[in-house]
Amino acid sequence: TALPISLSSKRGMSRFSPYVLNGGTIVGVSGDDFALIASDTRLSEGFRIHSRTVPKLYTLTDSTVLGCCGFQGDCLTLNKHLASRLQTYKYAHRKSMSSSAIAQMLSTVLYYKRFFPYYTYNVIAGLDSEGKGAIYSFDPVGSYEREVFRAGGTAANLLQPLLDNQIGFKNQTGVEPEALTKEKAVALIKDVFTAAAERDIYTGDGLVIKIVTGNGVEEETFPLRRD
Amino acid sequence: AFGNFDSSIMFMGRSEYDRDVNVYSPEGRIYQVEYAIEAIKLGSTAIGIQTKEGVVLAVEKRMTSLLMESIGLEKIVEIDSHIGCALSGLIADSKAMIDKARVEAQNHWFTYNETMPVESVAQAIGNLAMQFGEKGAKGSMSRPFGVALLFAGIDENGPQLFHVDPSGTFTQYSAKAIGSGSEGAQSTLEEGYDQNTSLEDACKAALNILKQVMEEKLTSGNIEMATLEPEKKYHFWSKDELEDLIKKL
Repeated sequence: TALPISLSSKRGMSRFSPYVLNGGTIVGVSGDDFALIASDTRLSEGFRIHSRTVPKLYTLTDSTVLGCCGFQGDCLTLNKHLASRLQTYKYAHRKSMSSSAIAQMLSTVLYYKRFFPYYTYNVIAGLDSEGKGAIYSFDPVGSYEREVFRAGGTAANLLQPLLDNQIGFKNQTGVEPEALTKEKAVALIKDVFTAAAERDIYTGDGLVIKIVTGNGVEEETFPLRRD
Repeated sequence: AFGNFDSSIMFMGRSEYDRDVNVYSPEGRIYQVEYAIEAIKLGSTAIGIQTKEGVVLAVEKRMTSLLMESIGLEKIVEIDSHIGCALSGLIADSKAMIDKARVEAQNHWFTYNETMPVESVAQAIGNLAMQFGEKGAKGSMSRPFGVALLFAGIDENGPQLFHVDPSGTFTQYSAKAIGSGSEGAQSTLEEGYDQNTSLEDACKAALNILKQVMEEKLTSGNIEMATLEPEKKYHFWSKDELEDLIKKL
């Protein structure tokens, strides 16, 4: 992923860049009665590893989890901002924000900084008003749509075609599409992140999966390659 | 600044504390706000009744001249497709409040992609009603609003009715009457209200009460009515629909 502000300039001295790429990958998948979101736990900068134990998942309510990767400074600040907005909403309207409301609000928060964006790739996992799984994916300035599955972050280009094939049953012949169960989704996520860790230097160390169901948010962890 | 001290009239403990809008009396009252509430008792009667099937709002139009074009007299307005509002008092004051309610509802939809809860709309208007005086918000009124509103709407908590007055207080009611006929109307509502009434019976009850308190004879031309139902949302009744209902009274 190219950094939005150029490093080179005339005199050979690089201009100060307000952005830095800290790497990481997130994947969101929805089913009939669940939604899950997974991220790796590596935080990098260039060829350095800052930490092997930083998940990129933030639980916003007991029915919504946000995955956020890109520039860690903006990810953290954005999440503080969202947590504050969630609280304010709760005090004003005496209820928690629904997943669809959080998605719309995130879009407006991101677009507010249209001319100095949050360098974050966001994916929300939650449940819709009927209790079905919902995934919302965003660009850095707030464009969003609801999808069945989405990969974001440094290994997104490696993973999205793989998900299209395995969950969307694209480019396959003679196969009957089946509904995705929670167990199959978790197994698929483990395989998919293992594949990403092989080829993307920014992805690895560990995997965290958060699963949203009618009973709340469950969590699973899994080790990944550390090289 | 003190007003004229009038000791010969014993009316609501009137004293030199009733002129300024930012002065408490020794008993702890702000007279200007109370007088604003009195102003509403001069306004045309408005009634709201909430049932499990929906909410009804009915107002008397009080046309002071046969030459008046009734369409201009908007005393029941739509705030959003799921919220309506009836007003009584100084109608001009209500324009700013209605606009604020509409803008708040749209901002909520824009930001959260969902309908704004009815109580939150009432809260927003209650907050606006408090912004008066020299040190009020920029561009705010120099005096309290002289209008009371009945917000009727449907949200995930079902049909609800809220009353907002010039003090900024908002209260939820099952049935409420405001304006000149409110005293008689409110006691009739208290006697007759049953939470299992159908919306149609509530509409008839509202019209019957208006009939009692209105000076002129009730016709489809001198009243306004609107209902809010979960599926049908805000519906402003046409003259024909009112005619049909009046026949059933």
